[in-house]
Amino acid sequence: MAGLSRRTLLTSAAAGLGAATLAAPSVVRAATDSATIGWNTDVPSWDPNQRFVPDAQSIFKAVYDQPLDQDPKLKLVPHLIKTWALAPDGLSLAVELRDDVAFHNGDKMTSADFRWTFFERIKAGHKIDIAQSWRKVTDIETPSATKAVMRFNSPAPTAPAWLAFLGSYMVPKAYMEKVGLEGFNAKPVGSGPYKLVEYQMNARIILERNEQYWGPKAPLKRITIEVIKDQTARVAAVQSGQVDLTAGVPVRETTRLGKLAGLAGELNPITRIILLQVRNDMGFADPNIRLAAHHAIDKAALSRAFYAGAAVPLSVPGVPGSPGYLEDFHFAYDPKLAMQLLAKSGYGPKKPARIRMATTNGTFASDYDIARAIVQMWKKVGIEAELEVIEYAKYFELNRGNKLPESTLYSFDNATGDPEIYAGYLLNPKLPFSPWKDPVFGEKVIALFNVADEKARIAGWRALNKEAVEIGACMPLLQSVQTLVRKKALDYTRYGNGWVLPQTMRWS
Amino acid sequence: MPLLTALGRRLLVVVPILAVVSMLLFTALRILPVDPAAMSVPPNATKAEIEVARRQMGLDRPLPEQYGIWLGHVLRGDFGRSIHLRRPVTELIGESLPATIELAACAMLVAGVLGLAGGLLLFALRDRAMEAVAETGTTLLMSIPEFLWALLFIFVFGVLLQAMPFTGRIDPALRLPLVTGFLLLDALLVGRPDILVSALQHMVLPATALGIAFAPPIMRVLRASLLDVYHEDYITQARLRGLSPARVLLAHALRNAALPTLTLMGVQFGFLFGGSLLVEVIYSYPGMGNLMVDAVRNADLPVIQAVGLTYCVVVLAINSVVDGLYLVLNPRLRAR
Repeated sequence: MAGLSRRTLLTSAAAGLGAATLAAPSVVRAATDSATIGWNTDVPSWDPNQRFVPDAQSIFKAVYDQPLDQDPKLKLVPHLIKTWALAPDGLSLAVELRDDVAFHNGDKMTSADFRWTFFERIKAGHKIDIAQSWRKVTDIETPSATKAVMRFNSPAPTAPAWLAFLGSYMVPKAYMEKVGLEGFNAKPVGSGPYKLVEYQMNARIILERNEQYWGPKAPLKRITIEVIKDQTARVAAVQSGQVDLTAGVPVRETTRLGKLAGLAGELNPITRIILLQVRNDMGFADPNIRLAAHHAIDKAALSRAFYAGAAVPLSVPGVPGSPGYLEDFHFAYDPKLAMQLLAKSGYGPKKPARIRMATTNGTFASDYDIARAIVQMWKKVGIEAELEVIEYAKYFELNRGNKLPESTLYSFDNATGDPEIYAGYLLNPKLPFSPWKDPVFGEKVIALFNVADEKARIAGWRALNKEAVEIGACMPLLQSVQTLVRKKALDYTRYGNGWVLPQTMRWS
Repeated sequence: MPLLTALGRRLLVVVPILAVVSMLLFTALRILPVDPAAMSVPPNATKAEIEVARRQMGLDRPLPEQYGIWLGHVLRGDFGRSIHLRRPVTELIGESLPATIELAACAMLVAGVLGLAGGLLLFALRDRAMEAVAETGTTLLMSIPEFLWALLFIFVFGVLLQAMPFTGRIDPALRLPLVTGFLLLDALLVGRPDILVSALQHMVLPATALGIAFAPPIMRVLRASLLDVYHEDYITQARLRGLSPARVLLAHALRNAALPTLTLMGVQFGFLFGGSLLVEVIYSYPGMGNLMVDAVRNADLPVIQAVGLTYCVVVLAINSVVDGLYLVLNPRLRAR
């Protein structure tokens, strides 16, 4: 305000208005060392430990580093941690950190930052979601600046996977203590391949390459992330050239845009799964009805109708290639068998079994349409389902209050692919993901959380996956598909879990 | 003095309105089947942890007590913390409100200009064959909702013509000058015509999408007012004095016909402010509407309450300003 003169004000106004009238805005960008991404969600905050938002992980991974990482095929690989060793009893995890990592403010990363992120912040009562994922941690010993040992109060076989999963990003202890949480949110400091240079909440994130990055430098110097929550606007943005890449657009639009000159449309199967979460009581107390409901669903037809055939039909809660997936187990689409099962319980098309079904509308591609199609498939065999729409966030609340209907169409994200984070969460009666509350089956699930031996653990989850489907405790439908449209000349690395990482993008 | 007294009387009415709105807002949100405590913890939290959160948030206390505590904080300018974003709500409102006010003001300008031009056109076409066509045109404009205009403009000016940007408030190559939060004003304050140009370019489509549907009522009211005014004696006298039709219209009739139009615009501003929700989401415009949509999705009650109350305050403030202008323009009202 102090520097404002009347002359400046008038000159600016006149020049601005004149130029606005005359200048033709340039909205089509040339390929340079920068790229603009149209993304469907903003970060909930710049504290990466704070909230679990799967779609924000690609943004966080540009600014922050995780202790471990996953390669495109989802194998755990070293990152900030060079080596790690889980104790045979699963009660401790020894890690060795790199000694050449610096945060964006120049502070060197040490084991003190590791202890701060995964233990001290939680004990200090910071409201962070990773307090839930690391609740088993009783202490983190730091024998040297590069070595640390995590101690757990019960076996934690998935601890390494969690070090590369939701919210597990290293944050700088000294800086965070100095500036406080508000200060950190206002000026976040990570150690990732990009630095945050500008942030407009709900609108735009601008990143610039971290020239001092300890790992491979990002090919592009500047990344602009436009937060475009409306999918129609995302389609328009990529078609008009205002963004170079976008994701989460309707399947039909992806196919259409992919046929335009200069654009590529992709339907990439990812580790997210679509399934029906079911109750073990009310209209689904009878296993015949549950199994009939599952046999009546033509998953291949759903994939063809809503995902151009790209979504893989599933028979277990896991995706092909993940450790818990059973290649040789197939739950058949068999409407005749469904009718026979229903007849055994006295139901049929003329006397339908009545249940309720919940679905989201717009949470993932074609969710509501899939639910409607399932209702029609059920109707043919003799199940009359009343469909209701719920918000995704309401799912947990309804489940905690035991108010979910018999079945709910649900999408579950598990970037690690670990079977514990599929069935262990989806079917654990003590967690709010699972409406299946049968205590006998629940005990089997909970017991597997404490199996430290990796082979026995994976074998246990595979057997449990099969049993869950056979008793009708779970109805896996499809492997989810990430829709992505980009300029053909903009390459990026495809990850099996749907990460779209700015640091892998380059112009060809 | 009578002007100030009249203004004071009108402002006094605002206080009870705000009190009632805040009470309704608070109660309605508490009655909804949404559990803010459950929403504030991660999905894998236990029931015991949710209960701890409930106690910490004061949700275990009786509703009137909760309202009293909330109101006490609000009166001190503290709307609490966002459940989802975990930031002070006042800060979030502070960041978003200027953008929405700026958008609504520009949209009102669009509506006003179109309304004025259209109203004069409708008046000029009275008793002619084209009048029915013009009437149909205004009905068409009015019946298309603002989000449809928003999508239509993106398609035409963004995709087909590739002539206008439609995401955000400014070109990514430019840095936002953070002075007041009102970008157009800030661009002037820091003497940056390039920012002003970019901000105007980014404002054109959302402001037009939001404002265009509000123009037809202004056109119609203005036309009706002009028809009324033209029956007044002073118009006849002006004509007898030999003034040109344009001068009669612009210098005499329009000034008096503008009063009902002004009232209408004041009322409309409230609707227009509320109508920004979807337009902001479609244009990635970082205002209150965008904040509200997110808050509703995440059942973020503190943000919903604060945004709701802020909407109410802004609408009341605008109405008060319009009332004030009305009093200034029409001395007869001051005595009432």
